Amino acid sequence: MAVTDRVRLQGPTGGSTDDGGRSVRRLAFSQRLSRWDVKISPYLYISPFFLLFALTGLFPLLYTGWVSLHNWNLIGGQGKFVGFDNFGFVLGQPYFWNAVGNTVSIFLLSSVPQVVLALLIAAVLDANLRARTFWRMGVLVPFVVAPVAVGLIFNNLFADQFGLVNNVLQAVGLDPVRWHSDQLASHLAIATMVNFRWLGYNALIFLAAMQAIPRDVYEAATIDGAGRLRQFLSVTVPMLRPTVIFVAITSTIGGLQIFDEPRVFDQSGLGGADRQWQTLTMYIWELGWGQRNFGRASAVAWLLFLMIVLIALTNFLLTRRIANQGDRS
Amino acid sequence: MKFPRKLAALSASAACLTLALSGCGADAPKSSGPSGETGKEPVTLTIATFNEFGYEDLIKEYQTLNPNVTIQHKKAATTNEARDNLTTRLAAGSGLSDIEAIEVDWLSELKQYPDKFVDLKDPAVEGRWLDWKAKAATTDDGHLIGYGTDSGPEAVCYNSSLFKAAGLPTDRESVAKMLGTSWDSYFDAGKKFVGAKTGPAWFDSAGSVYQAMSNQLDKAYENEDGSVIAADNPAVKDTYTKVLDASTKDNLSAHLSQWSNDWVAGFQSQKFATTLCPGWMLGVIEGNAAGVKGWDVANVFPGGGGNWGGSYLTVPTQSKHQAEAKKLAAWLTAPEQQIKAFTAKGTFPSQVQALSSEALLSQTNAFFNNAPTGKIFAERAKAVGASPFKGPKFFAINDAMQQALTRVDVDKSDDAASSWTKFLAAVKSL
Amino acid sequence: MSSIPMIRQSAGAGAARNAERRLNRTGGPGRNNSTQRNDAGRGRGGAVRRPGVLTYGTLTAVVLASLFPLYWSFLVGSHDSTALSRGIPLLPGGNFLANAAKVFDSIPFWKAMGNSILVSSVTAASVVVFSTLAGFAFAKLRFRGNKALLVFVIATMAVPTQLGVVPLFIVMAKLGWTGSLWAVIFPGLVTAFGVFWMTQYLRDALPDELIEAVRMDGASMIQAFWYVGFPAARPAAAMLALFTFVATWTNFFWPFIVLDPSNPTLPVALQLLQAAHFVDYSVVLAGAVLATVPLLLLFIAAGRQLVSGIMQGAVKG
Repeated sequence: MAVTDRVRLQGPTGGSTDDGGRSVRRLAFSQRLSRWDVKISPYLYISPFFLLFALTGLFPLLYTGWVSLHNWNLIGGQGKFVGFDNFGFVLGQPYFWNAVGNTVSIFLLSSVPQVVLALLIAAVLDANLRARTFWRMGVLVPFVVAPVAVGLIFNNLFADQFGLVNNVLQAVGLDPVRWHSDQLASHLAIATMVNFRWLGYNALIFLAAMQAIPRDVYEAATIDGAGRLRQFLSVTVPMLRPTVIFVAITSTIGGLQIFDEPRVFDQSGLGGADRQWQTLTMYIWELGWGQRNFGRASAVAWLLFLMIVLIALTNFLLTRRIANQGDRS
Repeated sequence: MKFPRKLAALSASAACLTLALSGCGADAPKSSGPSGETGKEPVTLTIATFNEFGYEDLIKEYQTLNPNVTIQHKKAATTNEARDNLTTRLAAGSGLSDIEAIEVDWLSELKQYPDKFVDLKDPAVEGRWLDWKAKAATTDDGHLIGYGTDSGPEAVCYNSSLFKAAGLPTDRESVAKMLGTSWDSYFDAGKKFVGAKTGPAWFDSAGSVYQAMSNQLDKAYENEDGSVIAADNPAVKDTYTKVLDASTKDNLSAHLSQWSNDWVAGFQSQKFATTLCPGWMLGVIEGNAAGVKGWDVANVFPGGGGNWGGSYLTVPTQSKHQAEAKKLAAWLTAPEQQIKAFTAKGTFPSQVQALSSEALLSQTNAFFNNAPTGKIFAERAKAVGASPFKGPKFFAINDAMQQALTRVDVDKSDDAASSWTKFLAAVKSL
Repeated sequence: MSSIPMIRQSAGAGAARNAERRLNRTGGPGRNNSTQRNDAGRGRGGAVRRPGVLTYGTLTAVVLASLFPLYWSFLVGSHDSTALSRGIPLLPGGNFLANAAKVFDSIPFWKAMGNSILVSSVTAASVVVFSTLAGFAFAKLRFRGNKALLVFVIATMAVPTQLGVVPLFIVMAKLGWTGSLWAVIFPGLVTAFGVFWMTQYLRDALPDELIEAVRMDGASMIQAFWYVGFPAARPAAAMLALFTFVATWTNFFWPFIVLDPSNPTLPVALQLLQAAHFVDYSVVLAGAVLATVPLLLLFIAAGRQLVSGIMQGAVKG
């Protein structure tokens, strides 16, 4: 990737005159300009993001950090400086750890099947289909369905007494599942909502990567006697490594911040009477807007931020290791 | 797009400030009739409401009566959204409308910060509202935070066809007599109903029964000095136990969580025979129970009277047109205007004069067997007594209590004792 | 390696033409070993295999499940308010137009749609431009702090946005933008996801040799970007544009907080349909369906372009 290096090295002697008759005048001044161009441009190009982030991302982050160090009522305003008391208090709350558990659980239940299913759907879409555009755009439709509709549909499906899923279960002779009372069941229902929205999108990302794998690798594998499944596991998946990492990172970061789906799961938006499905972002909301305790809410927000960074990093290392192993075989 | 508005707002506020300084604020808002102020600078007022206040036509009328005033109406769909919006803008220190509508439940908290709201006290509106309504919005210093708009006096709605199947009386007067005036008589009637083993439960949710009962206590969760007594107050524990006994031991509850999908479906499948209904709930019942025959309203409420819901109009101190906003708020909450809103959207007035108006008293409701709902709820409104003191943590503690009840009644994940322990832990963490 | 003649033999002249076109567009043969993006979809093992019943069966199931909520919304929207409580029949009723009329009457639908289109388009365009620029820098240019800054960009995605509402509102108030569409557009002009996405794509899709060649011809950095980087990024950029457009379109909470009712975006306006004690969900869902129509049109119009864009985006990431 050392483009700028090489250009710089060749600068003074660089072939400008003997290039098919192109005559570029190389003055010392423009050479200097060119060096400045090379040095400054990268920072210039990435600056829009950082400038915008400074205003709309960094400032809120620092503000939140400042708030977390005080007793701060959302309406009343800034109170006494209390240092890390808020953090200590929050870490001692069982509801905090409950929210952590819920968040991780919902995240695992949604991300892991998502990645696997997206890979499978992509494999199916990779075939030589008729009306390719229809199938591929079709799986993306859940992405545009309005949240209110999704909420209504899934509430109808997963209602405890009159929901469709329970009706079907009872028709088959099984016991109805208490989707809004049982902790794990609620996680499953919410994970289903999340997966529904993001599966098609991730599948198309994987499909793109799959399409880029050259066919001769497969031909060679076939000649070596590998069956379809073996080829999928030993050729396709390893070559998708960077994509899998990309998806793993983005879905980790997004998955740990899940807010909308669990909120619409019931009408109070608190996460269940026993906080069965209250995620960390919902806990932040409850502390900040429910109890008006801005200080504690900010403390939880910072803890969540640190947690996401940690888990995303772990996920990255893990995925890289797994994909690497596939490579070796 | 933004600049012209900014200029207009600047000039308008400058003008109003000048007028205010010259004694504009001395204008006592008249409760009726055109205000007829001429020579005033044009003013744009913003008013934020939620749900359905029935103000659309009234706003047009006010603008006709006061040509220099333009009103922008901001509507939030639900009370929760409105509350979040209000909170965010209070926290940010700007962005509130000139008039902000608030719910009675938020008062206990907002009264902690009377400096954020203009004192709307005014001799011209003295005695306009029912005692309990006005008192709820007044701080200890006499600072009146908001003008009352509507209220939610409760009666008992019942399904007469279910009553008939269980061998109970079905006409309104007999039902009122049977239900009695105390919670015990209400529960006894329930036991009789459930004893007939026709299938449905007596009431829909423990939560709504508790809410009504706790609102009739002298003291609930907090003392006037701000200390939290929820854990020690025997009245709270007693009410809790009583409600849950009735719900689970006597099986009077349909174990539904209000507003959930199951609750809505419960109307169609006729899962319960009665529900405590404020005036604004009638429309909801009618919608949810479309096609079901037999609903009626009894002119009685256990424990005397109950109120659920009701709003106020406040003028935040952020407003740049405080005098004008106060005037508009006073006009909108006048008995005549509230009656018009009532006719438009069914919001039940909280003004004393409105309760004796002909338009109100003659109102009937076809879905509820042509019950004279206007008369019924007017009487129920007068029967509401004082509500317990509500301190700054009332909202949060009440939520914790509702969750405790849901755990036992709906989720059945806890029994009464373990749920109470969790409630205590939640209160402690506040 | 699958050459054009082989593609012509196996998948027909049309596919061969497409492959040829793509080959020429991406800068000549023999560039990378995966130049032959095989949209002819040759099956594993080299032989052309038309997918069987199992494949089509699975796909049908998946697409049916994907389209179902839209259809369900239309179903409810075409009945009346009792539909949800009484159980919805499987066929649509005749009430959709009446409900749609109610939607248009109750809320400033067209104004909100106009606002949404404006906000989404501007945001999508801006995100694409700035993300490609930044992605070009991170992926291809060498500068001090390249890796660290990229990690920082990714880390910014981990900032929970819930509490940011209050300080962001303060910022908007100071700028005087509360109530104007700028308050909604501005925070979304560049996204970390966009930068990450374009970086990952350009890393492999844009060969260093190409940039060197053009630089040796005397092009400045910005010219290198414009003539080489941007065209190479086009497929992934198209995908990013679609994704950003949709995400901005469906965004509710921040526009709700910061905009005025006289100037809403579509989700904010639609929420008003729920402003009643008893919510008529048939009208609400009719509104939801109407709000989705522009996006579906976008899908159809841009579908082919985007599908191949998705195919080539995140490729060999």
